[in-house]
Amino acid sequence: MSTRIELQEKDYSDLFPVGEDLQSQIGGRRRREGLARILFMVVLIVAISALATLLYTIINAAFGMTAIINTVEPDTIVADVGHDPEETGLADLTYDELVVVLEGSVTNNVGRRLERDQRFYEDRFVFENEATWSEICASSQPPTGCDAAPRDKSNVLQLVNERVVEPDVVKTWELIPSLFEREAIEAEIRSEEFQAANPGARPEFRAWLNWQFVTSPQSPNPETAGVRTAILGSLWVIALTVLFAFPVGVGAAIYLEEFARPNRLNQMIQTNINNLAGVPSIIYGMLGLAILVRVLEPITSGSFLGEGGSATENGRTIISAGLTLGLLILPVVIIASQEALRAVPNSMRAAGLALGATKWQTIRKHILPAAMPGVLTGSILATARALGETAPLVVVGASTFIITDPSGPFSKFTVLPIQIFQWTSRPQDEFRNIAAAAILVLLILLIVMNATAVFLRNRYSRSN
Amino acid sequence: MTSEVRMSEGEVTERVRPQGASQSQSSDASEVATPLGVIVTEGMSVYYGKFRAVADVSLSFATNEISALIGPSGCGKSTVLRSLNRMNDLVPGARVEGSVRYHGDEIYHEDVDPVEVRRKIGMVFQKPNPFPKSIFENISWGAKVNGFKGNKSEMSDLVQEALESAALWDEVKDKLNESGYSLSGGQQQRLCIARAIATKPDVILMDEPASALDPIATLRIEELMLDLKNDYSIIIVTHNMQQAARVSDRTAFFNVKLNDQGMRTGRLVEYTETSQLFTSPKVQETEDYITGRFG
Repeated sequence: MSTRIELQEKDYSDLFPVGEDLQSQIGGRRRREGLARILFMVVLIVAISALATLLYTIINAAFGMTAIINTVEPDTIVADVGHDPEETGLADLTYDELVVVLEGSVTNNVGRRLERDQRFYEDRFVFENEATWSEICASSQPPTGCDAAPRDKSNVLQLVNERVVEPDVVKTWELIPSLFEREAIEAEIRSEEFQAANPGARPEFRAWLNWQFVTSPQSPNPETAGVRTAILGSLWVIALTVLFAFPVGVGAAIYLEEFARPNRLNQMIQTNINNLAGVPSIIYGMLGLAILVRVLEPITSGSFLGEGGSATENGRTIISAGLTLGLLILPVVIIASQEALRAVPNSMRAAGLALGATKWQTIRKHILPAAMPGVLTGSILATARALGETAPLVVVGASTFIITDPSGPFSKFTVLPIQIFQWTSRPQDEFRNIAAAAILVLLILLIVMNATAVFLRNRYSRSN
Repeated sequence: MTSEVRMSEGEVTERVRPQGASQSQSSDASEVATPLGVIVTEGMSVYYGKFRAVADVSLSFATNEISALIGPSGCGKSTVLRSLNRMNDLVPGARVEGSVRYHGDEIYHEDVDPVEVRRKIGMVFQKPNPFPKSIFENISWGAKVNGFKGNKSEMSDLVQEALESAALWDEVKDKLNESGYSLSGGQQQRLCIARAIATKPDVILMDEPASALDPIATLRIEELMLDLKNDYSIIIVTHNMQQAARVSDRTAFFNVKLNDQGMRTGRLVEYTETSQLFTSPKVQETEDYITGRFG
């Protein structure tokens, strides 16, 4: 008790502030803390509003009012095949009637091409004849129609919509005015002036991002174009990227972190990996072009497996793109995995070794599982980056217009970012709308992929 | 210093005279007759790069005894301990000179695989370090990696036996599938001891096994060590002199010496029976340390 009082009575005012001074000193420290807090909050708000603006712009363009002209009105078509347009819609027609409509409207050449893609009937031809058919099916490169099952009704209905009704968007509005000034827009479309310039135009609210957009292949007119080919291409490329970069990256990280001695060579390798993570992606594209597309063409074109025809054979395939992106993210995967391995306490390594386990047994069973959540986080971020890469794929040779789905690692391909890039550089307004829709598809794809990976990671860390 | 090793078949003894003792007192009384140890070091020095951490340690650790290494911080006792089963190999640049023999075999011979050494000479660390796995897996894994030949039920028996030997069975028998981390600090340390026992080692090295534990848990570990001594040879590093006095049969006292360049190097000062070291140490330095005049 006595010591306490003595301590309190002792005067330290020459060393530390006391009384009023202490209050003002603490106040000053508090004020600086408050300022810092506000500053960081403002920074966060800036970041969030930037992202929100981006999302707003995209969504604004992906939905909205349109003025549409049908080349042939569906009512006319229905009337032509002998139904009452008041009672029957285009979708109510039978399969046979739809084929008849198509037969009467498209040229024979277009019809033959459609039939070669996929037949209308199993037992008879609409545009082709038996002799030509058996001849082209016997050739070295038979069209897909030779093996595929015949078309179904929804398929033919879509063909009629695309080829016969042929809706043409003449003007588009953004989402916000479409929602709040809808009547003014409709009045404008119905005005005499507008109708004189665009006879038969009618207002329609259009979600550019719709199921048909997701499931249709690329097409020259924006009304019917879709991103199916690009989505499949992106998934294929990313799958190969991950298959290459994940095992190679984690393996390299394990070697560098657990086995390599800290000698000059290994330090040099480490420095180089760190620098490679900052190399512009287009450089990787050039590397991919030089090595994968050109030098390794016999492998990357798939011709060593006897795939693909000699005329179309080249190395601009999914596997070249996947490996290029794999190389691009490899340094990031290695560095992230190294960090994760380094974060595992050394006591765990010692525990394993002290039991008479080998280094590899310890790594395999204890170190790697403990590092896995970190390894996965780094790899997910790297993969997300690869999914959005455009520049290296332009160099490697992604196709900008392709309507056939990729069928394997040796197919030609396009990916979503390439498709978006290509559409945004078109002059017509409608392409900007579908580019916005494609961006949304890409974002959704990213979110789904990340969510899956985070889910996997959480399950991994829980099972430990 | 005189130490002679007779490798005859009969009564094998070794005479080790502590170095410090040889300087201050050179009578025959300072010689302690010890049975030929399970681990014997002769003139062992440990280097970290160019830095010599411990110099010239000659010790013989006896079978089925508890030997304690004591001394002030930085005297190299943990370094000595880790050199006995080649755990120092993990430290980049660590190097051991001199001789370390396990049952007469040089463990630092180039033909010797450190994995084999560690399989025979297990270790328990200062901080409990169970694997982030179930209690059962914590124990079965060591046996598994060393090629345990038994079937599933024999593995269960092994795990139970190890946990019983570590006096942990009654506390965990109903939650063998729970994580090793769910246990308290003292239980975790006993789990680590059980884990070491399950691989049937010959020697168990303990690096301050109770320093992170409360007095009650410490007491349990000490009781456990006295039990285990019947089956294993135990070498323990401790900061706690009472602990060394309570459990050990022999005690080695290490101290730090500054050389001309001001480098701190650990040296063995005195190694003798515990009762003797704590009651009538031969070297003044030892007496100063155990009576609390420094360190």
